[in-house]
Amino acid sequence: MHIPDGFIPISQCLIYYVILIVALYFSVKWARSNLDEKRIPLLAVLAAGIFAIMSMNMPIPFGTSGHMVGGALVAIVFLAPEAAVLVFTVVLLIQALIFGDGGITALGANVLNMAIIGGFVGLYTFKALKNMIGKYAAAGIGAWLATVLAALACAIEMAIAGTFPVSVGIPSMVLYHFFIGIIEAVLTVIVLVALDKFRPDLLAWNKSEGDA
Amino acid sequence: MADITQIIRFDDLASKDSPIHNLEGRIKLISTLLIIIVCVVSKELFIPIVLEIMLLIILKIAKLSYVDSFKRLLMLLPFGGAIIIFQPFIQPGNIIWSYSWLHITDFGLNWAILLLVRLIVSLTTIIIYSSTTPLQEMASSFRKLKMPRDLAMILSIMVRFLFLFVDELAAIRKSQKSRNFDIHSKKVSYKWTVKQVGYTIGMMFLKAYEQGERVHKSMVSRGFSDTSEMFNEKKSPEKSDYIYIISIIVIIIILEIIVFKYSGQLGYFGQNFSIN
Repeated sequence: MHIPDGFIPISQCLIYYVILIVALYFSVKWARSNLDEKRIPLLAVLAAGIFAIMSMNMPIPFGTSGHMVGGALVAIVFLAPEAAVLVFTVVLLIQALIFGDGGITALGANVLNMAIIGGFVGLYTFKALKNMIGKYAAAGIGAWLATVLAALACAIEMAIAGTFPVSVGIPSMVLYHFFIGIIEAVLTVIVLVALDKFRPDLLAWNKSEGDA
Repeated sequence: MADITQIIRFDDLASKDSPIHNLEGRIKLISTLLIIIVCVVSKELFIPIVLEIMLLIILKIAKLSYVDSFKRLLMLLPFGGAIIIFQPFIQPGNIIWSYSWLHITDFGLNWAILLLVRLIVSLTTIIIYSSTTPLQEMASSFRKLKMPRDLAMILSIMVRFLFLFVDELAAIRKSQKSRNFDIHSKKVSYKWTVKQVGYTIGMMFLKAYEQGERVHKSMVSRGFSDTSEMFNEKKSPEKSDYIYIISIIVIIIILEIIVFKYSGQLGYFGQNFSIN
């Protein structure tokens, strides 16, 4: 779902960049007040780890393969979509500059889909459902919905750009990510279970429960 | 997503010596962005094609292999390529070929060609940039170009630890292979495979987090605080840097003037194929 250069006209790219700058402003502000000076090494090394995680390709039934994005995971671990925005801005920037995976001019749109939409949808679905169906099921549904809605946003952006009509783009992107989303959900839950078992202190939900 | 173990090879390539490698980091970054933006804005084929020829010459000056660069380009095409391939069939226009319900329009075909040329030029630019600029230099260029402090610091530290995780990933793959783990194996249940991948990702996440905490402690023990600034090596652009960037700007201006004034004489290459 990394949109390359040339697919979105520059005027629309600028709008996505404005959204990115506003999101970064609030994210840096969040990190300053919530993670103190630890924020820089922590988020930086985590970004390097996410970079490695994103390169682990997982075969998916029907002969295709996909990889985890982790926007919802980062947002749920920190209970803040801002963390996902900071981590994914640097990850996507380096991916674009080194691998040509996702465009430089489309960086704003890509961060919007994978981190801003992915992080917000993942986290707030989790928050809304956790008391009803339990933490892990809520996180799984959050991660799945984050993937599907990020793909939907990507299809809509391409449709606005005129590159891919809504009638073809939305069904194909959403259907494909319907399945990728299941993998994302399962992996997100496994990682959260593992973190809760080995380092429960890292999960912000344990801290907020402790505080209350 | 491309295989990140390649990053070591790219950084190796980037540490070689050539007139392009020796350019100042900011100059390379700005020229890369400039070429990509001009290419994205172009509605005619003429400018991106001339830029591609210029990039092929730069590739030669940078002593990079055409074959390797071409292979890298092919690896990067799939996602964009998949969308481009649909364009001749889905865009309205005059039908130039049809078979039952399937038809190709002239408008769609020309738009697909323009998109493909834009994609190839952008990717060639990125290949040259990443093969001539070490990661540290990229991060420091952003710093010198006044990227906000927090983000610039995250970028610099992330780039340093990327190699550690590449090694970590290689070690995990090696140990899984030595135990006969095959991600594509049909002999074990899919559920089991997903679980193993989940554990690996969980472990990687945990390692990254704990490494982050250790790095923080070691930085604090060396005097790091909230007001610390990163060291920027003072290196001003030299004459060759100015010559490089000015040549690129002049070429772009000349190309824009040619398209503006003589688009009629350029024939097919001067036509506006853009639909957005």
